[in-house]
Amino acid sequence: MAKILALILAGGRVDELDVLTYFRPKSVLPFGALYRIIDFPMSNLMNSGVEKVGILSQYRPLRLIGHIANGQPWDMVGRDRFATILPPFKGREASDWYKGTADAVYQNIDFIKMNQPDLILILSGDHIYKMDYRALIDFHLEKKADVTIGFTPLPKEGANRFGQATIAGEDRKGGRVTRYVEKPKRELLDWASLTIYLFKPRILYEALEANATKESHEFGKDIIPVLLEKHKVFGFKHYGYWGYTRTLDEYWQTNMDLLEKSPRIDLASWQVMTNMADRNIRDCQPTIVGSAAMLEDSLFYSGCTIKGTVIRSVLFPGVIVEEGAVVKDSILFFDTVIKKEAQVIRTITDIEAVVGSRVKIGEDSSGALSVVGTRTSIPEGTIIHHGVTVHPYLNGGCFSKSDYAPGEVVK
Amino acid sequence: MRDVVAVLMAGGVGSRLNILVRHRAKPAVPFGGMYRIIDFTLSNAANCGLSRVAILTQYKPLSLMDHIGDGSAWDLSGRTRSVKILPPKTGEKDWDWYKGTADAVRQNLDFITRGDYKEVLILSGDHIYCMDYAPLVRFHRDRKAHVTVGMLPVPWEETQHFGVGIVDHRDRVIDWQEKPRAARSNLASMGIYVFDRKYLVRTLHETKEEDFGQHIIPKALSEAKVYGYSFHGYWRDAGTIQAYWDANMDLLDPESVLTPGLCTVRTNHATERMYYDRPPTRVVDRAEVTNSLLSPDCTVLGRVQNSVLSPGVKVEKGALVKDSVVMHDSVIRSGARVERCIIDKEVIIGRKAAVGIGNPSVPNATYPTHVYSGLTLVGKRALVPDNALVGTNCIISSGVQEEDFRNGSLQDGQTIEK
Repeated sequence: MAKILALILAGGRVDELDVLTYFRPKSVLPFGALYRIIDFPMSNLMNSGVEKVGILSQYRPLRLIGHIANGQPWDMVGRDRFATILPPFKGREASDWYKGTADAVYQNIDFIKMNQPDLILILSGDHIYKMDYRALIDFHLEKKADVTIGFTPLPKEGANRFGQATIAGEDRKGGRVTRYVEKPKRELLDWASLTIYLFKPRILYEALEANATKESHEFGKDIIPVLLEKHKVFGFKHYGYWGYTRTLDEYWQTNMDLLEKSPRIDLASWQVMTNMADRNIRDCQPTIVGSAAMLEDSLFYSGCTIKGTVIRSVLFPGVIVEEGAVVKDSILFFDTVIKKEAQVIRTITDIEAVVGSRVKIGEDSSGALSVVGTRTSIPEGTIIHHGVTVHPYLNGGCFSKSDYAPGEVVK
Repeated sequence: MRDVVAVLMAGGVGSRLNILVRHRAKPAVPFGGMYRIIDFTLSNAANCGLSRVAILTQYKPLSLMDHIGDGSAWDLSGRTRSVKILPPKTGEKDWDWYKGTADAVRQNLDFITRGDYKEVLILSGDHIYCMDYAPLVRFHRDRKAHVTVGMLPVPWEETQHFGVGIVDHRDRVIDWQEKPRAARSNLASMGIYVFDRKYLVRTLHETKEEDFGQHIIPKALSEAKVYGYSFHGYWRDAGTIQAYWDANMDLLDPESVLTPGLCTVRTNHATERMYYDRPPTRVVDRAEVTNSLLSPDCTVLGRVQNSVLSPGVKVEKGALVKDSVVMHDSVIRSGARVERCIIDKEVIIGRKAAVGIGNPSVPNATYPTHVYSGLTLVGKRALVPDNALVGTNCIISSGVQEEDFRNGSLQDGQTIEK
């Protein structure tokens, strides 16, 4: 097999996710009752036999560093296996924060060259999907491509968020990319870029060198369109599930895709690995379900105590739902506490949030999602309507009102 | 605690656990959803800062050795920390199986004399309890004792099952009764001993006695300072089917104070033969789950009441699991009913089968002393056919298949061997 070096772009925070990314890059946002988003590309890499991984980070990397640890959770420890975090560093001349995805890779070109890879696989750390990269690699080799990009059929909604392409021919696996437009305003071409790039090293080095003197340094915007002119750029078609996490609604929906009888995300067959030492998940006891609990279409891991009602929700380890509390259409991160008779609907609570007794957040089945920041404690009886953002680390004194209107921000 | 070496006795057959110990030693029997019995003692040892632990095994040690691994699950690996499994070995003279607890330690004296330890802490890997051994060792040192026995006040009617110590006002043990008919104290030995190392080594050299409780402690009373340290808290020997089931049910009882998560009982997740992590537990539609313990990777569409589910258990639509312990990856098919059962790993209970329902006054005919209290055992990888009716006090051995069931049913107290 060819020697593959993978790079995961895991540094970004996304403004649309707001308080959920105040203290962490999006790649370590909790997902699916157990995981962090980056577990998905990491597990895909492991399951594809790609065991040399560089993870590019710059925004608040502490949680990311802790989660990746030494790479051991994904078996990336050994003589020829590693998962290394690559932070920005101070060059001889200036301190250079990564100025874009391409720049982040360019600044680590020594690391890449040192590993002498046959191919370089560039992924982003913010999608939920299962892919065997070996199929992409085989396709790339078979087509003798210079660059191969992963694509999925263009979704009907939010088409303007994607790089769009035309792939020549009718081959089910993929074909030559004949046209590429980065984030056009509307639905333009048939295929949406998954921001998965497989490069011949020489092509990548040349493209990055040429881009270095330019103003903008993004793969989608600046590198791919240029390569298309001179090189063999192929599109590899992915038909399986693809989950986005860029906005609150997307992130929430992707979590909800884990629920119901035949979930769109079938975790059992995806064989996802996480770092069970992170937040000591492995030491949590099995979840306790109390005598008066009511459960419907939900997902939870170990260490929870559920004494109230939980409907269509996702509960991470250590969550406590007390007697008489109702949690509906919500995502509760690690160690969230929902006190007695509170009602939490269409809400995402960050780690160690406390929702006081008889608090009401959100409204039934409609309205924008509400978010409660990490370690915030909402005082008893507070009424919070839909679409409210509650900032992290707030205590009773920070809540001046007992009723918050839709869309308010509590700071 | 660095100068204390711990020796964990894990060689017991535990035969009263019947089919649960057919293929594994008692300390390796799964417990409380995701633990094994030995996890409690091993976590106690690691949590109180003991850094050198030996585990003495002899009976079917494979799953135990697998489970202990390199000890890192309990943070017992590194330059200054270790857990070593010491199986019996051929002596200079003959093939020596351990003849008792003291004999087992005697055969491994080289392990406890190798380091510069002051005390040897003898533990049993059979018990369910959370205990900090540091105060016990401090007590031992304060009294300048040769031996300190961990003691637990038990109801008087249970004293006949234990070694019982009679202590004076300074906690010195002045007399000892081994499994007495008429006990003079209700302070029962927990099978935990702190020995002054020099005293222990000398005694084991001088005598050929084989058992701590029966021989070494009574002998020490006449020649050394023996103290009793009282432990107050949850403690149970899950050595019988009834006690094993009771201890599991205690996890569901908030009054029982058995909460392994609070005292950080750790287990080794890596021994399962899968390399990825168990996904979260899924509840589909309106499943009715009450007063139960659910491990990761369960799928529940039916009803679960007062039960303990290990990872990977599936309860299909319309199935009922009540007052039961169900171990890893077992499947309860749609419409099946399971009551007061202990179901080992990878069992399949067929559609509309009913298991464990019958007259509890008929004890098991083959093992009347093991299974008599209205519980039913289903062994590892057994299959109960669709529509089968299995009574109570029944035993279905590991690997039993459809053809082993005559006319599809099993009367109260019957056993199917394989």
